Amino acid sequence: MTTKYVGQRIKRNEDPRLLTGQALFVDDVQIPGMLHAGFLRSDYAHARIRRIDASKARQRPGVIAVYTAADLGDFWKPGPLLVPAPHSIPGLIFNKRTQVPMAKDKVRHAGEALACVIAESRYIAEDAFADIEVDLEPLEPVTDLEAALEPGAPLLYEELGTNLASYVRQEKGNYAAARAQADVVLKRRIVVDRGAAAALENRGYVFWWDPKTQQMTIWATTQAPIALRNIMAGLLGLSETQVRVIAPFVGGGFGPKIMLAQPEEQVLGWATLRLGRPIKWIEDRQENFLATTQERMQIHDVEMALTREGKILGLQDIFIHDTGAYNSYALTVPLNTQTHTMGPYEIPNFHTEYKVVFTNRILVTPVRGAGRPQGVFVMERMMDLAAKELGLDVTEIRARNMIQPDQFPYHQGIIGQDFTELVYDSGNYPATLRLAKEMIGYDRFVHEEQPRLRAQGKLVGIGIACFTEGTAVGPYEGARVTVESSGKVNVATGVGTQGQGHFTSFAQIVADQVGVKPTDVTITTGDTEKFHWGTGTFASRGATVAGNAINAAAAGVRAKILKLASKVLETPEQELEIVDGVVRVADIPEKSITLGELAVIANPMRGSVEPGTEPGLESTQYFGPKYGATAAGTVAMIVEVDPDTMLVQIKRFVIAHDCGTVLNPLIVDGQIHGGVSMGIGQAFYEKLVWDENGQLLNANLGDYILPRATDMPPIEIGHLCTPSPLNPMGTKGVGEAGAIPTPACFVQAVENALAGLGVEILETPLSPNRLFELVHR
Amino acid sequence: MKLDGEHIFHGPRQAVWELIRDPEALAKALPGTESLTKLSENEYEGTMNVRIGPIAGTFSGKVVVSDEVPPESCTLTAEGKGPQGFARGVGRIQLTDQGDGTTLMKYEGDVTIGGKLASVGQRSLDTVSKSMIRQGLTVLDQVLAARLAAQTEGKKEIEYAKPTQAEFATAVAKDMAEDVFGRATRSHEGRLLLLIVPLVIVLFLLAVVLTQCQG
Repeated sequence: MTTKYVGQRIKRNEDPRLLTGQALFVDDVQIPGMLHAGFLRSDYAHARIRRIDASKARQRPGVIAVYTAADLGDFWKPGPLLVPAPHSIPGLIFNKRTQVPMAKDKVRHAGEALACVIAESRYIAEDAFADIEVDLEPLEPVTDLEAALEPGAPLLYEELGTNLASYVRQEKGNYAAARAQADVVLKRRIVVDRGAAAALENRGYVFWWDPKTQQMTIWATTQAPIALRNIMAGLLGLSETQVRVIAPFVGGGFGPKIMLAQPEEQVLGWATLRLGRPIKWIEDRQENFLATTQERMQIHDVEMALTREGKILGLQDIFIHDTGAYNSYALTVPLNTQTHTMGPYEIPNFHTEYKVVFTNRILVTPVRGAGRPQGVFVMERMMDLAAKELGLDVTEIRARNMIQPDQFPYHQGIIGQDFTELVYDSGNYPATLRLAKEMIGYDRFVHEEQPRLRAQGKLVGIGIACFTEGTAVGPYEGARVTVESSGKVNVATGVGTQGQGHFTSFAQIVADQVGVKPTDVTITTGDTEKFHWGTGTFASRGATVAGNAINAAAAGVRAKILKLASKVLETPEQELEIVDGVVRVADIPEKSITLGELAVIANPMRGSVEPGTEPGLESTQYFGPKYGATAAGTVAMIVEVDPDTMLVQIKRFVIAHDCGTVLNPLIVDGQIHGGVSMGIGQAFYEKLVWDENGQLLNANLGDYILPRATDMPPIEIGHLCTPSPLNPMGTKGVGEAGAIPTPACFVQAVENALAGLGVEILETPLSPNRLFELVHR
Repeated sequence: MKLDGEHIFHGPRQAVWELIRDPEALAKALPGTESLTKLSENEYEGTMNVRIGPIAGTFSGKVVVSDEVPPESCTLTAEGKGPQGFARGVGRIQLTDQGDGTTLMKYEGDVTIGGKLASVGQRSLDTVSKSMIRQGLTVLDQVLAARLAAQTEGKKEIEYAKPTQAEFATAVAKDMAEDVFGRATRSHEGRLLLLIVPLVIVLFLLAVVLTQCQG
């Protein structure tokens, strides 16, 4: 099949609506009689609830109802475990403690919901907070990951007798033996701290139970509308067909919006059932800091064993992972860390082991990168230190350890995020390293420019970091493609859209298959009434998993078109072509019929449809990969550090990236740009600062610093393509690519710029202050 | 947050002790006081409006004076909460007669804050606290001077007007100095005011009651 549109740099179909304010977001939903919810949240990180008295609040004019955990009665129970624990790993410990609808008996993090006020307006709801008497007995908070595991530490869950949420150990080969043979063993402690996903749009919902139709409609900023529908129906005792979830345009997902049965969702669903009126709740920015899930805090104790030539014999990584107050999303994040530490390198012996700790902070679930950046940071830092120790160039040591193109499929020998052995399907890692070096002019910079600039007193440095990205995991997605009597094509799929350009990249796939223009293809995502099978948008899987399902459904429609047209035009199928919405005989173009006319014939008003055929030009297909496709790349950057302020300016940023077949380079570029901005944030700006009492001290966008436009360098992107053998289109994911290697590369570049000052950076996120401390300590 | 510091009062220890054990005198330096109730000799309950940066709201709570060794030392425990968060603090004050007519006050305290006070007010907290401590001490110095002067010059009653927040920065010192003269009427009802609680209080108490945060 020719690809007229796939692979083209086509502008996004959805942008005119988005850019002119014509796109529907949850907060745009207005329904007559709609009520508004506000959640009273705990100021304490750890406390016993002595009493919550909402009686006065219920008297306030405009307040419709106030609910506490006690009011929920039997409905109150810990929420579902959203991802199973990988019990295929021997010896795994997993103490399940899932998020609760509202705090009952005990508060486990500042920001945990204590009461929900439903009122005529959000203003009234929040004013009513002052009427609620809350009597909490403060308990000693658990905030330090290591102290949390000491005997006698205060406990989040007394009945567990420990703050240990989980323990996982995996071993490939024999690290101890490898270490014994090594010429050099490096040992470091590396710390990655917490940051926020900080999507432009906070979470938001409208829950509407209509007693007359007995239907519940939920508008939600969710990444997984179908899963949300199924879970909410189950929790509320409704049939799945009674619940419709619509995820309209969403201003950024980045992970936290994959969460299901969150406290607000549970309470709002329960409340609208009782009140029979629509209820809206839009999270405010402070709530987003205190009640939306976060990521990244880990403490790694790493050892790398090498030969004198820089060949890695083995790696040992023992780390502690902060899961916060609950572990509803099980072990996805630390498991990703574990499976991305080896990255694009051949590590014959790998000992990896982690403890997950409950702390009095909002729970941890995937945030763009989802554990991968930590693994890559650890590995790339150790690579840099090993290069220094052995007197090797940082690119040379990487090249010497890379998995070669002829080694695929490459078995990594540990269990991956889809609970089966981690296997790299395909790739050309040395090519990404070579391309990135070439693009940034590595050799010239190191040998000519840097010495010249340093001579002028400039603190300039270069960094280059390699990574893999496990993407496009199963289980499956589906799609339905329909040619309408207008000749235009409708596509419905189950994934939600949060800015990925689905309305364009999916349309390109369909346009090629069905023979129309991308602008004639309408995509519907995230509406369970339109398509109700699927999993969700996460793990950089939409374009590959849903994309291949759409490709299959479009191919199914193409087959129907050709079969019917063959009959109508009395020409063998192989002599037909579809061009711009017209099926014609290739050699006799005037002998043709439009797709619209064919659609009408396929769905006749009278007469009979032959037995065994389906009406219409429609096909529904599903796609599930055998396992996730592994993308990869190399980033490089040149930075200059201001010696007085320690501000870092990124002078150049290049990324050589391989995500298999590129559906639309413009969209892939956009994904990379977004990921890189998050990566720069994680590297130098976005650190959540907690005090020892579990109070988040910068829960606002004045104190929590996001990279601004002026902090973003021009990003030069080199696309490489090693098609994945795991799906017909050969695609891999790219959504998290920019976020994953950027902190590692940034830190390497800054350290390089500060060479000679004795600075070794083993942490992220940094800040000018922190850099100053490191230089002057 | 840890607080500690020293301040030299220009007056005898007994006068300083009376000053810092007079919650009305202290609280008058605080803007936004809405009510104050004396629960017992060493326990006060009150409400006040506080503004720290973008955080504004009413806080209510208690202050307890304990371990009292007149006129040498005491411990203040303050706890306050409101829609905008909470503050808890413990402070220890020590007065030393320097033998030259001045009194050295040393204070140390530990303050815990939570809620919006912490998560949004944090950045302003340090500045606001220091400012309140500095202003409070200035006021107390003046109160002390005025009291000492009043003892020699005779008393004069002046109605005390609670300072607004806006006035606080500029006029507190004056109000408080005047109030010195009004202290004799402190028993008048409707005039009570006082101590409050949140962090600010502790800061202020520690400060006010104590001393400037000095370096």
